Amino acid sequence: MIDSAFIGSIIKILFVCIIITAAYIISARNLLSIVSVYALQSLTIVIIALLLWLLEGSPVLLAIAAITFASKVIIIPYFIATIQEKIRIKRDIQFHFLSPTSSLLLSMGLMLLVYIALVRVMEGTAHRENLFFFGAVLGISLMLMGMMVTFSRKRALTKVLGFLSMENGVLLFGLFVTELPFIIEFLIVIDLIILVLLTTILTVGLDSTLEDYHKRLHRFHLWEDTEEVR
Amino acid sequence: MNLEFFFYILLNTAVVLLIAPLFSGLIKKVKAWTQGRQGPPLFQQYFVLFKLVKKEVIYSPNASWVMRAAPFLNMAAILVAALFVPLVFVTEPVGGIGNVILFLYLLAFARFFMALAGLDAGSSFGGMGSSREMSIAAIIEPTTIIVFAALAIVFKTTSIFSMFFTSASTQALVTPTIILIGISLFIILIVETSRIPVDNPETHLELTMIHEGMLLEQSGKNLALMELSAAVKLTVLMALLINLMIPAGLALSLTAAGVVIGAVLFILKGSVLAIIIGLFESSMAKKRLFQVPSLFAMAFFFSTLIIIIEVFA
Repeated sequence: MIDSAFIGSIIKILFVCIIITAAYIISARNLLSIVSVYALQSLTIVIIALLLWLLEGSPVLLAIAAITFASKVIIIPYFIATIQEKIRIKRDIQFHFLSPTSSLLLSMGLMLLVYIALVRVMEGTAHRENLFFFGAVLGISLMLMGMMVTFSRKRALTKVLGFLSMENGVLLFGLFVTELPFIIEFLIVIDLIILVLLTTILTVGLDSTLEDYHKRLHRFHLWEDTEEVR
Repeated sequence: MNLEFFFYILLNTAVVLLIAPLFSGLIKKVKAWTQGRQGPPLFQQYFVLFKLVKKEVIYSPNASWVMRAAPFLNMAAILVAALFVPLVFVTEPVGGIGNVILFLYLLAFARFFMALAGLDAGSSFGGMGSSREMSIAAIIEPTTIIVFAALAIVFKTTSIFSMFFTSASTQALVTPTIILIGISLFIILIVETSRIPVDNPETHLELTMIHEGMLLEQSGKNLALMELSAAVKLTVLMALLINLMIPAGLALSLTAAGVVIGAVLFILKGSVLAIIIGLFESSMAKKRLFQVPSLFAMAFFFSTLIIIIEVFA
């Protein structure tokens, strides 16, 4: 088999990639690049899951990798990019409460806090092993950073992206510490896809009635049906 | 002072002076290509410097001795700082050379005199350039210190020489901390050398210029010195980045073959980095002055993270 120390060091480098993508999602202003960076973040998690599978050989990990790849690397980013293209919003430059700079600084503090808290929680357990511990810290931090994106952005589309990156944090934590049952992973992914579908409502017509909303979908070319040509 | 260190001083200074205009010319060329232009020849910077050296120097009637001394002080400080960063081979440091904090303050010293010279001629452009440069310098300073502190913690020494020794003798593998430090150093490099998201080195527009504004009143030999010192500073910071990240080729002893291989590899690595800088600049628009701190915040974030990881783990 492949050397496990080698796999460990590659996973650590991938951790760095995840931190970089999270920092980018917090501070970037260009919507399209946030979407592609989100896809990159998910891809990194897929690779981590595959490497863990090599390390541990549990088939659940392989299934998680496959389902994450299909949903978060391909389907969801494609959907969001389509919505974004149709509503023609390219940038998100409005922020609530926190500017990107202060959210970056705050997220640093959060990471430190998570670290200290987890050291205490895991003191007695066998999970003190370096790699798994760091995975847990990073998972929770990614979750909190995603939460910060969710509340500091004004546009619905970026809020959704923040939520999605929060879910990536949960997945990462699940990969390293507890083994979530596969059915739950599956349900979470279905939830996410429904959430992205709901995003069309949030971004296109939250304030409209149902008939009006249908018209708006037509206007933004998000809904094409042939019978209703007027 | 032993003989090897003496040769080190000669060789390092000669290499940095010879190579510096090449790298800044290469960046210009890459930027021209991305804009669909042919751009100036690769060696244009050398011709420009050669031409400027032959021209006479003209001082403004308001100028004091600061204007006359600044180019020399600036060049001297940057050349001393260049000694801290081995380009082609590393030797035992002599007399405590290589201290990180001294390195940073040599750069700050050069910047201080450049800003003074901008104010001294009494033109409004120069004053504006100086005030902008100093405010950016004041904001970037904490970030720079934190980045170098992270370097010091990772390599467990405050001497830049020892850092190069460790990285050249272990042929440092790509570790997570090294990647993060590389990104931070790259951002510092962009800001310190006044490149695009912060300042545009090509423009002479009143509204945007920072670095060029301070040089408007310089002429002849003095301008040549200022331009060369800016190019040397770029090369030194590039060398710091590439020789710490990818130390391949950095000779540990003074042999003809080692030095030649080191020089060739350094030019190769530097050219790749110069192309990356050119592409990075072309892919970005200049940021508003008030948005520049978000760029530093990234470097600050990564280097603080390194410190946290190194201290706690």
